[in-house]
Amino acid sequence: MQSTDFFEPYKGDVKEVAIGSEGKTVKIGGEKTLPFHGFEGAEGGPVKFALEVFDAPPEGWPEHLRSSYADVLGNPVAWADKCVKQFGADIISLYLASLDNDNFDAAKIAENVKKIADQVSVPLVVMGIGDKDKDAKAFVEIAKVCKGKNLLLGPLVKENYEEIAKAALEGGHGIIPQSPLDINLCKELNVKLTKFFPKEKMAIDPLSAAIGYGIDYSFSIMERVKQVAVIHNDEMMKMPMVANIGKDCWKTKEAKEDKTQGILWEAITAFTLILSGANLVILRHPESLKLVKKLIS
Amino acid sequence: MILIGENLQILSKVVSAALKERDEKPLQELAIKQANAGADYIDLNVGPARKDPDVMKWLAGVIQEAVNKPLSLDTTNPIAMEAGLSVCKIPPLINSASGKQESKEKMLPLAAKYNCDVVVSVLIDAGIPTDSSTRAEAIMETVAYANEIGIPNERIWVDPIMMPISVDQPQVVELFEFMKILQDICPGAKSTLGLSNLSNGAPEHLRGILNRICLVMLERYNCFSAIVDSFDTELVSLMRGGLQDVKDLIYRAMDEELNISGLPKKEADIVKTVNVLMGRNLYSHSWLES
Repeated sequence: MQSTDFFEPYKGDVKEVAIGSEGKTVKIGGEKTLPFHGFEGAEGGPVKFALEVFDAPPEGWPEHLRSSYADVLGNPVAWADKCVKQFGADIISLYLASLDNDNFDAAKIAENVKKIADQVSVPLVVMGIGDKDKDAKAFVEIAKVCKGKNLLLGPLVKENYEEIAKAALEGGHGIIPQSPLDINLCKELNVKLTKFFPKEKMAIDPLSAAIGYGIDYSFSIMERVKQVAVIHNDEMMKMPMVANIGKDCWKTKEAKEDKTQGILWEAITAFTLILSGANLVILRHPESLKLVKKLIS
Repeated sequence: MILIGENLQILSKVVSAALKERDEKPLQELAIKQANAGADYIDLNVGPARKDPDVMKWLAGVIQEAVNKPLSLDTTNPIAMEAGLSVCKIPPLINSASGKQESKEKMLPLAAKYNCDVVVSVLIDAGIPTDSSTRAEAIMETVAYANEIGIPNERIWVDPIMMPISVDQPQVVELFEFMKILQDICPGAKSTLGLSNLSNGAPEHLRGILNRICLVMLERYNCFSAIVDSFDTELVSLMRGGLQDVKDLIYRAMDEELNISGLPKKEADIVKTVNVLMGRNLYSHSWLES
């Protein structure tokens, strides 16, 4: 008798979502078991890591973060290239910092995204700044200009999901719906989106928080999302999860005041949320990426 | 099922204005309408009444002039409570006491003194218990205390405290579990709860279906009474022997997971709601759409 004789296979699974155009596709999700429970079912692909690139030079970064990218900060293509070739990022997460400017030009931003998507050898996640109107305006343009590139656009919130998702659908892109640390509202948004958007092109963000700033809430909710999908077979919750943590970690005073502390802050936040079921983790510092990869391999 | 009509309550603008003005007419009308709709008790919710403890005395007086129904005096203020108790002609219900120290000292003794029934919630100083066994633990202690001061189980209406399903779905399941074991831990005790709180936060037009189906389920778990919207005619009908086909479907959906494909929308909605209440499906505001 083998130990596996005692296991009953789970009813549910997590959908596999492909990002990126043909020839440089990366897949996330696809597991039929809980995180790191390979002994109970197929694990799907390994967790994927994205490093952040800004479309305008970042402000307020501590020197110990900035120094890793000092030579490329003004050049997103070179920056992305460095993240991929030198630091081993699977995906680039392009942050639309230029939206911080009130007089942004959506068409220009979209052209820039296209240029980066064309020149970078890995798929692109494109992240708005969390301003529902500015994000929507930019994404509608980006979705059109970058048609067929299968970008992953986010975050979509309840106030702007319709507009962005429709544009994403027409342009053939994936989306990241985001809910405010509430599993019921997470499902709500998924139910509404899946009425017109394929769930195989969605990766959800239940909202991740950094260590010391509410990670316990994020952990519980992400853990439950995964359980509801895998154990309870809830069709509306089977999307892979995104943990976008670079932004949250690097605004903490702990990360800003010391290099080692900052890297650990980000790496351990990432590791914790991977344990709770994150399928795609977006990081900012190359050394925390290296550390987390080492930790889970 | 004993139905306590919730509609005369301080959060309603009409009620709060009438209470302030001591305008009895709209309040009496509201009580009469509830009695006609089928409420067994009329709840008089005056809030904490800190500045105006006499309000309960006045209100109980004018309402019992208008309707021949027992009253449920609903305030956390023991002074207002006693003022109300002193004028009631039909023994009223004290709504409510709890396991909080202050309530044990000031509210529970009123039930002994006035020889009337009392709602005792599972609330304790540490807060609202979070599962069925901590609810049991809390209520056993409070009930033992009530017994000691001369209130028998039969006069205690245990309130397990209904939480909004949109806030904490697992709590609804825990409440059902608690209702199943209540007679084992407090033999002879009655029970009641604020049903509408279940659907607090849910889309307005869907609150009724949640409340109604939950009440049928609670009745099956031997819940004795509930504080409800008297003007939900379907709900009152369900509790008065009507809509047997709806009830049968709810029972079947409780006993097994029914396949909803092919069911007419109305029936499918009932099954989906039971599934959400039983904790089989994760709640979202659009639970009827998925």
